[in-house]
Amino acid sequence: MRRLRLALRLVLAAVFIYAAYTKLRQPWLLFALSIDSYQLLPQWAVLTVARTLPWLELLLGLLLVSGFGLRYVALVTSAQLVIFLAVMLRAYARGLGIDCGCFGAGEALTYKTLIRDGLLTAGAIVLTVSAFQSQRSSS
Amino acid sequence: MKNILASLLLAAISMAAVVPEAMAPGKGVGVASAPLKIDVFSDFQCPSCKASYEETLRPLKNEYVAKGKVYLVHHDFPLQQHAYARQAAAYANAAARVNKYEEVSRELFRQQGVWSANGQIDSILAGVLKPDELKKVRSLLTDPKILADIEQDIALGKKRNVSQTPTMIVSYKGREYPVVGNVPDYGILRKFLDDLLSK
Repeated sequence: MRRLRLALRLVLAAVFIYAAYTKLRQPWLLFALSIDSYQLLPQWAVLTVARTLPWLELLLGLLLVSGFGLRYVALVTSAQLVIFLAVMLRAYARGLGIDCGCFGAGEALTYKTLIRDGLLTAGAIVLTVSAFQSQRSSS
Repeated sequence: MKNILASLLLAAISMAAVVPEAMAPGKGVGVASAPLKIDVFSDFQCPSCKASYEETLRPLKNEYVAKGKVYLVHHDFPLQQHAYARQAAAYANAAARVNKYEEVSRELFRQQGVWSANGQIDSILAGVLKPDELKKVRSLLTDPKILADIEQDIALGKKRNVSQTPTMIVSYKGREYPVVGNVPDYGILRKFLDDLLSK
C-alpha cells in the first residue's frame, strides 16, 4: 500500500506541476478565456481563478512530492479534481465545443479529456482514503 | 549552366512553398502589417460562430481592426454535422469574388436559423446582392477554385490543430495563442489583446 501511495503521489504531483507550468508560461488572460468558455463564472471570478489556480496547482504538486500533510493535501487535490471533472462533464453534456484549459490553451475538451480526468480523480480519491487509513492504523 | 538553371528553378519552387496561403479577396480585414493577426476558423451553420461573429468580432473590428491594431482573417471550417455549412461557405467564397464576402457573411449569420432549417441560401442572399452579383455568385458556385479555397482553409485549420468552431488563433511576435470554441467574452479578449500589445 505504501508503494501505491508513493506512485499515486508522484503521478499526481507530476500532473499538477506540469499543468501549472503550462499555464504559467502562457499569458494568464489566455487561461482566463479558457475558464470563461465554461460559462460558469462572472468575469471578476474568471479573472481571479485564472490568476490563482496555476499557483495552487504548483503548490499542491510540490506538497504531494514532499509528502507533507499528505491527508489534507490529498483531500484538497481530490476536491479540486472532482470540481474539474464535474465542470467538464457539464460542458461536454451541453455540447460546448470548448478549450479544456487543462494544460494551457489549445486542447479541445473531448471524451478523452474526461477519461483522463476521471482516472486522475479516482487516483486522488484512492490516495486520500489510503492516507487517512494509514494514519488511523498507525495511531 | 543547366545546373544553375535547375538550382534557380528549385529555389523558386521552395520559395513558392513558403509563401503564405492564397486568400480570397475580402477574407482578410484590416491592415496586413498590423501588429496582431487573428485567424478565425468558423462554420456558418454553427450557433456559437454566429454569436462569436455578432458579439465578439463586430466590436473587435471597430476597436482593433479599424485602428490598424489587428489584421483579421476569416477561414472556412464547415463541420461534418452541419448539412448546409459547406454550401454556405461556397456562397460566401463566391461572394468574395464580387467583393461582398463581408456582407454575405453577415447575412448568413443573421439568418442562420432560416437557411439552416431548409438549405435555401440563395433566396436569403437576394437581400444583400444586386441581381447581377447574385447571378455571378451562382455561376461561381460550381467553380473548382471556390471549392479548392474552402478545402485549403480546412486543410490549414487541421494543420493548426483546429477541431472546434469558432477557433481564433492570435499571432503576435511569432507566437500563437489559440482561443478554442464558444464565444470569447469580449471584455476578457480585449484585456488579453491590450496586454499583448503592451509588451
